[in-house]
Amino acid sequence: MAETESGSKTDQRSEDTSENGEPVQPQQDKSKEDATVTSPAKKKNDKVDVLLKNTADAPIMAKKKWAVPRTRKVSWVIEFIRKYFKCEQTDSLFLYVNQAFAPAPDQEIGNLFECYGSDGKLVLHYCMKEAWG
Amino acid sequence: MADDREILREVWEGRIPVCFTLASDEVTSDQPDPFFLLISRQTYITLVTDKVQKHFKKFTEVTEDDEMWFDYEGQPLKWHYPVGVLFDLYAHGIVLPWNITVHFKNFPEEDILHCGSKEVIEAHYMSCLKEADVLKHKSHVISNMQKKDHKQLWTGLQNDKFDQFWATNRRLMERISDEPFKHVPFKIYQPHTMYIQKLFRPVTDQAEPLLLKHLLEEAGPDSFRNAVGAKPKILIQGIESPLDTPVQWLSEHLSHPDNFLHICLVPATPANHEL
Repeated sequence: MAETESGSKTDQRSEDTSENGEPVQPQQDKSKEDATVTSPAKKKNDKVDVLLKNTADAPIMAKKKWAVPRTRKVSWVIEFIRKYFKCEQTDSLFLYVNQAFAPAPDQEIGNLFECYGSDGKLVLHYCMKEAWG
Repeated sequence: MADDREILREVWEGRIPVCFTLASDEVTSDQPDPFFLLISRQTYITLVTDKVQKHFKKFTEVTEDDEMWFDYEGQPLKWHYPVGVLFDLYAHGIVLPWNITVHFKNFPEEDILHCGSKEVIEAHYMSCLKEADVLKHKSHVISNMQKKDHKQLWTGLQNDKFDQFWATNRRLMERISDEPFKHVPFKIYQPHTMYIQKLFRPVTDQAEPLLLKHLLEEAGPDSFRNAVGAKPKILIQGIESPLDTPVQWLSEHLSHPDNFLHICLVPATPANHEL
């Protein structure tokens, strides 16, 4: 998993760090240091805050809040979580929005944030078996 | 409530004539005859093409791992978009039939999802339905339905049974306490880009109905608003609705079975602008 430019290892305090989770190019996103970011009307190619929450007996992530580019697909987020937990190829991982529906794998995070974001972030629930499927 | 039943039925019965041919680089024996099918706009292509697969398998080498997929003029077709949307987006205005190429090899992983079984299509459809009700009714209607109601929606779609489908779907189209939908489920498509989804209320704070033109102004791509020259055509179920149509009405009558309004913005060309 990528580290921030400050060189700190993954820590619980996620507010000031900005991660896109990419193994090679960690970035410090200065725009995230702005205090109130409640409007979803950011420009394209910007990042949105995603909060990854576990469901049922799925493991908990040490770092739950991630800044994700709007154009990332749901499949990328699923793969990211799978890599985070070092899942086997055969392990399933399901992602849910509003604890109500599973978005299509090619849906963009930006669209989900526009429609289902609140308090400046998009909450996604993950689990190893179908929950609200 | 979606009370214009004639319109609902007309929309339901929209069909596209398709001519399937096998990719020439995959033909291993004699040249196969093309396969013709009249396909509902409302369905998903992988739901209705078992016969296509059966027909062409005889003329090429297909293994257990091969999965059939389709392209139109080099554009892989996403099976998880309704057939009518694919047609309006890529083939509006063409001389019919719609010529689609069938493949079994070189599955384009980057462009389309896998469709291992009918259950995959059903799961996708149900997710879309649930998402639509999150937007319309904060999930209240769909979560109060039983599994058999969900099943009826799916089998109605799968078996092309308008009455069976609408017996249940009418509940998803209901105005709770005479209130319009909280938000209207819609997607705005353009060729070669991801569709747009945003929140849109069908009424103003003063409860005045908002119109299609308001939705496009609010949620349409910048390129649409700033278009120089001929504006793109706006197609919903293959129809160019008047821009003054109330969005609530559109949502009730022109949605696909997944309860979403699928709106295609396609360039106006000399070929299609007369249509």
